[in-house]
Amino acid sequence: MDQTAIPGARFVDPIVLARIGNLELVARAVVDGFINGIHRSPYFGASVDFAEHRGYVPGDDIRRVDWKLYARTDRYYIKEYEADSNSNFSVLLDVSKSMGFGSRGITKLDYGKMLAGCLTYLVHRQRDRVGLVAFDNQVVEFVPASAKHMDVVLHVLDRVTPSNPGNLRTPLHKVAEHFGRRGLLILISDLYEEPDEVLDAVGPLRFRGNDIAVFHLLDPAELDFSFREPSAFEDLESGEQIPIVPDALADQYKELVQAHVNALRERFSANRIDYTMLSTASPLDHALFSYLSTRERLSRVR
Amino acid sequence: MTFLAPLFLVGLAGLAIPVILHLIQKERKNVVQFPSLMFLRRIPYQSVQRRRIRHWFLLFMRLAALALIVLAFARPFLRRTEIAASASGAREIVVLLDRSYSMGYGGKWPQALAAAQSAINGLTARDRASVVFFTSNTEVALRSAADKGRLQAALSGIEPAAGATRYGPALKLAGSILSESALPQREAILISDFQRSGWQGSDGVRLPDGATLTPVMISDSAKPNLAIVPVTLQHTEFQDQQRITVTTGAVNHGESQASADISLEIGGRGIQTRRLTIAPKGSASTTFDPVTVAEQNVRASVRLSDDALLRDNVFHFVVSPEKPIRVLVAERPGAQRNSSLYLMRALAVSETPKIEVTSRQADSLAAEDLARANVVMLNDAPIAQNTADRLKAFVEGGGGVFVALGERGSWPASADILPGVPGPPVDRTRGPAARLGALEYGHPLFEVFRGPRTGDFASARFYGYRSVTPAANIKTLARFDDGQAALMERRLGTGRVLMWTSTLDTGWSDLALKPVFVPFVHRVIRYLGAYTEPKPWRTVGDVVDPGLQAPTRGSDVSRVALTPGGQRISLDGDGPEVLELSEQGFYEFRAQGRESDAPIVVASNVNLTESDLSQVDPQEIVAGAMGRAGAQAAGETAPPSDEAQESAQRVWWYLLFAGLLLLGAESIVASRMTV
Repeated sequence: MDQTAIPGARFVDPIVLARIGNLELVARAVVDGFINGIHRSPYFGASVDFAEHRGYVPGDDIRRVDWKLYARTDRYYIKEYEADSNSNFSVLLDVSKSMGFGSRGITKLDYGKMLAGCLTYLVHRQRDRVGLVAFDNQVVEFVPASAKHMDVVLHVLDRVTPSNPGNLRTPLHKVAEHFGRRGLLILISDLYEEPDEVLDAVGPLRFRGNDIAVFHLLDPAELDFSFREPSAFEDLESGEQIPIVPDALADQYKELVQAHVNALRERFSANRIDYTMLSTASPLDHALFSYLSTRERLSRVR
Repeated sequence: MTFLAPLFLVGLAGLAIPVILHLIQKERKNVVQFPSLMFLRRIPYQSVQRRRIRHWFLLFMRLAALALIVLAFARPFLRRTEIAASASGAREIVVLLDRSYSMGYGGKWPQALAAAQSAINGLTARDRASVVFFTSNTEVALRSAADKGRLQAALSGIEPAAGATRYGPALKLAGSILSESALPQREAILISDFQRSGWQGSDGVRLPDGATLTPVMISDSAKPNLAIVPVTLQHTEFQDQQRITVTTGAVNHGESQASADISLEIGGRGIQTRRLTIAPKGSASTTFDPVTVAEQNVRASVRLSDDALLRDNVFHFVVSPEKPIRVLVAERPGAQRNSSLYLMRALAVSETPKIEVTSRQADSLAAEDLARANVVMLNDAPIAQNTADRLKAFVEGGGGVFVALGERGSWPASADILPGVPGPPVDRTRGPAARLGALEYGHPLFEVFRGPRTGDFASARFYGYRSVTPAANIKTLARFDDGQAALMERRLGTGRVLMWTSTLDTGWSDLALKPVFVPFVHRVIRYLGAYTEPKPWRTVGDVVDPGLQAPTRGSDVSRVALTPGGQRISLDGDGPEVLELSEQGFYEFRAQGRESDAPIVVASNVNLTESDLSQVDPQEIVAGAMGRAGAQAAGETAPPSDEAQESAQRVWWYLLFAGLLLLGAESIVASRMTV
């Protein structure tokens, strides 16, 4: 992606950001830079907090009549609520072993952590409730959504490491049971499963009314398969090895990856799920800008 | 195709190594951790397991270059038989057949003819061949012909000649023929007995590049050979008759002792026979009894008994009684008795040629006296008119006159034969005496005195001489130190006149007392008498001037030469300017229509160095002619060695060059493909 296409955007490689070490600071720096760029907060769903009373007019839902106030005043008043700006926001972060792969100094997990941190910080500034679910083939960490859990989320992000093979279905189905309120769910994973299986895994979350956005993280080496020497390729999760001559099958590999990405994009689009494929080589601020701008534009359409 | 070093071909197996490695090389054991093999597992197994060759053209170029280099090291070449069988190998053949007389030894000549015919029979339809006979000269019998019949016919009826072997001219001619040919294969086949005497080194002998020389050795198992040696003649006089003593001998070139009869023939009649026993590799000589010779140009021969080589068993020569030079010394009347003393004494001691001296008074010189004389010497004598006229006629007829002017010498102006007009005497008694300052050493008269310590004319002192006003176009052969002429020459017709401006006695000089005086006088007589050393024999290959050999020199009678084989050669008109002796025997020179006159006979003998049959290594000649070592094996039918054939073809060089060129091209192509 051409970074110079965005005037004024910071061209900071995520590798440099990762070296700063303080994840909160990194997240703030990125989001601040981004906010200053667009001068507008993105939309993240409705709130249920009380704002004021008004007089009942015919046609109002009688369920919204404040009966306690009627008892004191013998008048019908309708409770008005604050704007819908306070929502549940949870990041579902894949911390399986495959996310620990990085060919350019930053792993997909690190990139995912920064992405999760940035989005969490962004949403927290909007006073939404933030939470986090880290999973591999099980749920590893679970931080319930709360307006006070920003630090906890960042702390968990700093702590989690890739240690087990991944699987989407089991942990996501399990997590779906815990999301009682509808909210915005951000799934960050490398999605090494068949598209139908991926869709099956996120199905329960969507059926409960959650707004789901999927960030598909891939390393540049996974995209262009820029290996040269014939080697034994070892699966990070299963430990299986296959002798590979990269020159011989790079083209076929890239075709397969592209077909996988296309299939995912098609499936998610059909189910009204936002899908964004990110390369860990692209600057994080650029990736966020692209995603949020698109989402805002689509929100207006809706 | 044959290889000189076939073991190098094992290197071709090495060509498979990069291909095999390329195809079956196991992937290295370095492990690359990858997030998931989900997609890689879907790719067909064979395309993962083996490498594919993508640049077939590059691989082919590399393998071809390596193969060419390996082949170059294996030194490939085509054998002669393969070359002959090759459709593209049309050959230009030059058959050099040694026709020297040594080829007549034993059964050599039939072998040589068979070898030549074999070479011609081996020609294919596209080949061309030349047949060249050679001795010391070369003769192209047929040049660059493809018709086998004509080539075979060129060999028919040919016998060994009388000449000696010389390889140089023959190889030069072969090189010339081959260099003009456009055929791809060029070869000279040298059929000879390879006598060492015929090879003088490779000076100037070089076949063109790519041409080969194939020696075919003709040898005979029997090696003994006796050869006669040139005669030595000694003239003696016995009772006013001249007698000649002949000494000759024989050389044994064989490895065992041999005996032979040697006989002397004179005028076609056997005179004497002697028996000689000759040690191996040795020689023996014998002297026959003196024989009286009364006639000029008598044919004589000495003969050995026959052996395997006949031509070197006979030696011809011509014997004649020696003819003295008749000198007439004329003095002035009343001269002192010793005025010609030193001159007469000097003339009397000459042996070769003998000089017959007659003394007369200058005023009484008769025509008869002049008719008998070859040279007239006028010593300090005034000459009358009539005498001068007779002397003029004498000179114009080819006679020689020596005039020593002295104090009184004079000459009538009307008989103009002197080289200058005598003037008054020059007195050199006061002061230092005159000396001879400059001599014309290039003149035949003084030529023998050219070397150091061969004649000291400068030591003679001259106290007087006559000044001379030289005539036009005369030669001054000697001058005094003051530049005045001492000796002058004038030619008149075929005669010569020398004028000495001083004296030949001790009156004006002491030259007569010096050692150089006698040889000087003898040279004068030889020169004025046009004396030439008689040659009793010549050698085949020598050239004689028919003008000098004709019996009627100066006449308009046509002359002919008869060769030993009976051929008649006219020496006038369109006849040869010089006659080369090509046969062994006696050549006769006659005046046509005047058969009664005694002919002049020239004896022609073979070159006796040819009788030494020792051989030179044919490889030496091949190396000299081809400019490099690696000659071919000699033998009548043996083909040249593999090394020689390979060296001549040098295929390896082209293969190596092509291999390197291909490697260079591969580098360029590979770099462009990479870019």
